Amino acid sequence: MKRNILALSLALAMGASLTACGGGSSSTPAPSASTAVEPTASQAAAPELSGTMKVVATGDIYGPLFEQFTADTGVDVEYISMSSGEVLSKLRAEGGTPSADLWFGGGIDAFMSAKDDGLLEQVQFDAAEDLDPTYRDADGYWYSKGITIVGFLLNNGLMKDLGLTDPTSWADLTDSQYAGEIVMSNPAVSGTNYAVVNALLQSLGDEEGWNYFTALNDNIAYYGKRGSDPKNKVTSDEFAIGITYIDRSIEALTEENDVSIVYPTDGIPWVPEGVAVFKNADNVDAAKYFVEWLFSNDDHLRTLAELEQKDGSKLIKPSLEGVELSYDPSILMKEDLSQFGAQREDILAKFETLMGDKANVADE
Amino acid sequence: MYLELSHLNKRFEDREVVKDLSFGLERGELLCILGSSGCGKTTTLNMIGGFLRPDGGQILLDGEDITDLPPERRPVTTVFQSYGLFPHMTVLQNVTYGLKFQGCPRAEARKKGLRYLEMVGLKDYAAARIHEISGGEQQRVALARALIVEPKLCLLDEPFSNLDAALRVKMRRELKTLQRDLDMTMVFVTHDQEEAMILSDHMAIMREGRLIQYDRPMEIYHHPADAFVARFLGVKDLIWEPDGRLLKVIRDGGAE
Amino acid sequence: MNKPAFQSRGKRVSSKEALFRIGEGVDKLVLLFLLGSVCLFVLWPMTCILLRSLHLSGGDGFTLSSYVQVWTKYQSALRNSLFIGIVSALLCTLFSVSAAVFLSTRRGWMKGLCMAVLLVCMVSPPFVSSLAYIQLYGRRGWITYRLLGLSWDPYNSWGVIWMQALSFVPMNALFLIGILSKLDGGSLRAARDLGARPGAILRDVVLPLMRPGILVCLLLSFVRSLADFGTPVIIGGRSTTLAAEIYLQVVGYSDLEKSSAMNMFLLVPSIAFFFLYRALMRRSDRLTEGARGKQESLSLPLFRCGPLGWLAVAMSLLFFVMMTLQYGCIFLSGFLKSTKGVYSFTLKYWHQLWTISGSTMVRSVIYSLIVSLGGTLFAMLFAYYMERRRVPGRSLFDCLVTLPYMLPGTCFGIGYILAFNHAPLKLTGTALIVMANMMFKQLPTSTKICSASLTQVPVYLEKAARDLGGGQMAVVRDVILPGLRPAFLSCFVYNFSSSMTTAGSIIFLIDPGRQLAVFKLFDAVYTGDYALASLIASAITVIVLAVEGLVFLISWKGAARRVS
Repeated sequence: MKRNILALSLALAMGASLTACGGGSSSTPAPSASTAVEPTASQAAAPELSGTMKVVATGDIYGPLFEQFTADTGVDVEYISMSSGEVLSKLRAEGGTPSADLWFGGGIDAFMSAKDDGLLEQVQFDAAEDLDPTYRDADGYWYSKGITIVGFLLNNGLMKDLGLTDPTSWADLTDSQYAGEIVMSNPAVSGTNYAVVNALLQSLGDEEGWNYFTALNDNIAYYGKRGSDPKNKVTSDEFAIGITYIDRSIEALTEENDVSIVYPTDGIPWVPEGVAVFKNADNVDAAKYFVEWLFSNDDHLRTLAELEQKDGSKLIKPSLEGVELSYDPSILMKEDLSQFGAQREDILAKFETLMGDKANVADE
Repeated sequence: MYLELSHLNKRFEDREVVKDLSFGLERGELLCILGSSGCGKTTTLNMIGGFLRPDGGQILLDGEDITDLPPERRPVTTVFQSYGLFPHMTVLQNVTYGLKFQGCPRAEARKKGLRYLEMVGLKDYAAARIHEISGGEQQRVALARALIVEPKLCLLDEPFSNLDAALRVKMRRELKTLQRDLDMTMVFVTHDQEEAMILSDHMAIMREGRLIQYDRPMEIYHHPADAFVARFLGVKDLIWEPDGRLLKVIRDGGAE
Repeated sequence: MNKPAFQSRGKRVSSKEALFRIGEGVDKLVLLFLLGSVCLFVLWPMTCILLRSLHLSGGDGFTLSSYVQVWTKYQSALRNSLFIGIVSALLCTLFSVSAAVFLSTRRGWMKGLCMAVLLVCMVSPPFVSSLAYIQLYGRRGWITYRLLGLSWDPYNSWGVIWMQALSFVPMNALFLIGILSKLDGGSLRAARDLGARPGAILRDVVLPLMRPGILVCLLLSFVRSLADFGTPVIIGGRSTTLAAEIYLQVVGYSDLEKSSAMNMFLLVPSIAFFFLYRALMRRSDRLTEGARGKQESLSLPLFRCGPLGWLAVAMSLLFFVMMTLQYGCIFLSGFLKSTKGVYSFTLKYWHQLWTISGSTMVRSVIYSLIVSLGGTLFAMLFAYYMERRRVPGRSLFDCLVTLPYMLPGTCFGIGYILAFNHAPLKLTGTALIVMANMMFKQLPTSTKICSASLTQVPVYLEKAARDLGGGQMAVVRDVILPGLRPAFLSCFVYNFSSSMTTAGSIIFLIDPGRQLAVFKLFDAVYTGDYALASLIASAITVIVLAVEGLVFLISWKGAARRVS
């Protein structure tokens, strides 16, 4: 009998004790931007920082980089993986009381939306001058830690079984031989696939661009609701062609699986991967310093490049040594990033009708 | 003999529940198996009904060996202690359920069902649900359901144990009348001495799995086989009805 | 209040009176705590979602525009949701009834084995089940393509239906097995006695008596299918459902107003079905009341039951074979490496598994334990107050507590952020909010289990306890809680399995510093490391089974000690 009572009182007490143990960090008022330390040198001495920096990242591979930051500043880093759409939803729901400090990675369109909603903190530091202005926000609300490029992943076995010729360009993809064999993610959930739509619309012009996607739509098997769908479906022999981000992890796939990468000859769409500090966060200072810390020191960027197995940081900071691009940057499509955020809603809405029409037909 | 049990044995794991049991019963008679709880009377009934298979021995009914027949193929029906009525069916559906398996046409089954319900005084309740009627009424539904298929033998497992004393006396009388009218052969299991004395044509007294005495009630009353039987019956006095039927048994009390 | 009230009988009347008063006070407090918690952790977040859908929070003024948008745009998604819901509920119920009847008529090792499979299947880590499904039955599936040479496309509504139906079976089957074990054995024996062959008994007695339970299964599966977004997102292909569209609104468009409005749409059919559920549950109680609830196996030779019996056997075998394959596939994938389509054994992922920090696993177990124990106790008490005490507004509270079952997990999580991001209710970032979310997400099922079990605790026991001088608290402590022992175990198993694998609703609530095992699984899935994901899923399954086994053992020992 005693145990039951014990359990009951435990449950009653649970509320109080748990609130207490978690509430401490969130009750500290965030310092306002004006009191932040003005950085003076490119590698200024670390300001007095303390506490914990909470990070939402796109993956769990960044441990060593964060450990280095902890060693330099004494700030503990805790991180969790979330997709950029999830982060944005969470931010909006939190209504200006973010539970994390730093946003590390994710398609830049979400960062642009967040900036427009006033959810990001401005970060400025001297070394920002060395960064290519194409890949950073002019007002310093977001920076890029690299870019994601988009290409095709082909399943060689399926291509052969189905008697398909390898596509080499975006134009090839509308060929009717690929009907039902191309997988692409819904541009609403995938920053990279949104980049495809935006970049092609920019390069082809609105009318021709939409004609292209209408034609492509006929060949698309379905639009994945997760960003990794195309890559996964092609790797697991489910579909022949995937429109996917390309990085070293995809390159590694080609060694283990019977898949190959195609860099489209008529241009590679790309999307910057954002880094930003949440406005009103508990540890704004640490997060702001982290941004400066990362971009001011080439060692840190090289560590990042190594962890990510990506070389985009060379584009972000052209002066960076020890990281070489594995592709010719001239094949990157011309993209006007200023259109990226502003057009998102319209483009997605149009795209939705395009997909929607087809989805309904397929249902019957 | 119409019903003949010979050398029945049953054990549950290491416990012998029925030991070398043999007796017989003539057509149209009512036999009461009497004994205190745990004496093997319900086990015996279950073996006759086919719910338990004897470890040894034989059961003959109307000259046919039914020992190995499953319950659904025996011309035997049971009125269970808990009645076993179908809660999702009406009274009439319950009563006519067994007719389905005799190829009886629906209309005819309905007519027969109403006739049997009338017999047990429940004609007005044909459309009622089981949970809407009282315990005594449920008892009668169970009885009608068991009799309607015109079995060769009807078994009753302490059917009145859930009823109050007054109702029990009434039901006892109704059952006896019904049994005479239908000329039904019945085996009735009970631990109630008075019930057994009043109802039965023959009585079988069991103790620890064995048959102690088998005879007509008055024979047992006058000539109990041993001191146990005498003490177990514990009859002090008998009260008779004017028509010569036994009305009441007055017992010493506490003789169980 | 640890002392039974009667011990103080010899003392002064006033002390006895005081003790009694304290008991009454605690009783009121407990009730207040229960109802208060439901208001705080269910009603309030739901209100926040409603307000958001009407644009009443977050800046702009009141407008129904989101509803108009949803109504005009998502009718086909809603139709598809209903279609998938109905068919998968039907299929799932067919599987569940078959499995329940099959299991109830089996004894010995076969029953033990099947029960073990059911228990394993209760643990359903997100994503990997669907991935295993694709691996087995996909376009290049091991079974469909490699074994049978079929070339078919699993990415459609039927894939979703099939997957959902299978994944809802374990819970339903356990529920139905409970109902079957309460069936009045007398009815079955009577039917046999009257000449009914096994087939007729199954058709005329067993199935009709199960009918309310079967309908409950249908409804619960239907509502669950409506709220399920994971399956259609992964294997729906072009086929979409309202729940999947809600998920898309959240992760793709971050449009909280619209997704909230879509939730409200989803609630309409669900709430309608809830009231139907209540009505049916009442009837079910009536059909099984008075039965002697003995735990004995149903004596029905299923193989002699004609076509119906064969159908039941075939469906259950199909289910158990498919489940064994699915979980076998998950486990095996962790040790297989595919090099250009050729599989070979590898321990690479096994070693990787051990790099996951132990504290993450331990935290998962601790959270889940707290949620399971707290949630089970909460559900027991809640069921008691709802079923046995005349609490004002009880049907309202009963409906409230069921709401989280009807929402896609993602939205229940968002609702919690909306509700708890400001003082004085600032809970975001705490462990409490995560556990509360898990607990209240699972409470609908927990309370249903407890309510069903409560019908087995006779009211006269309560009366007896009070008659002997025990107050309301003594009734709860000495009659209700011990009487709900069987419910405790099933409730605990359900809660623990779910807590260890919940992800959708708490992804928004989890603090970066307090990672849970299931998010390691997420990371692995995200990076496309299926082998590692499979292995993490297997590890979670093993941990769940181990902890559950331990709790079984403890409670069994506790029971044994009590008896001696």
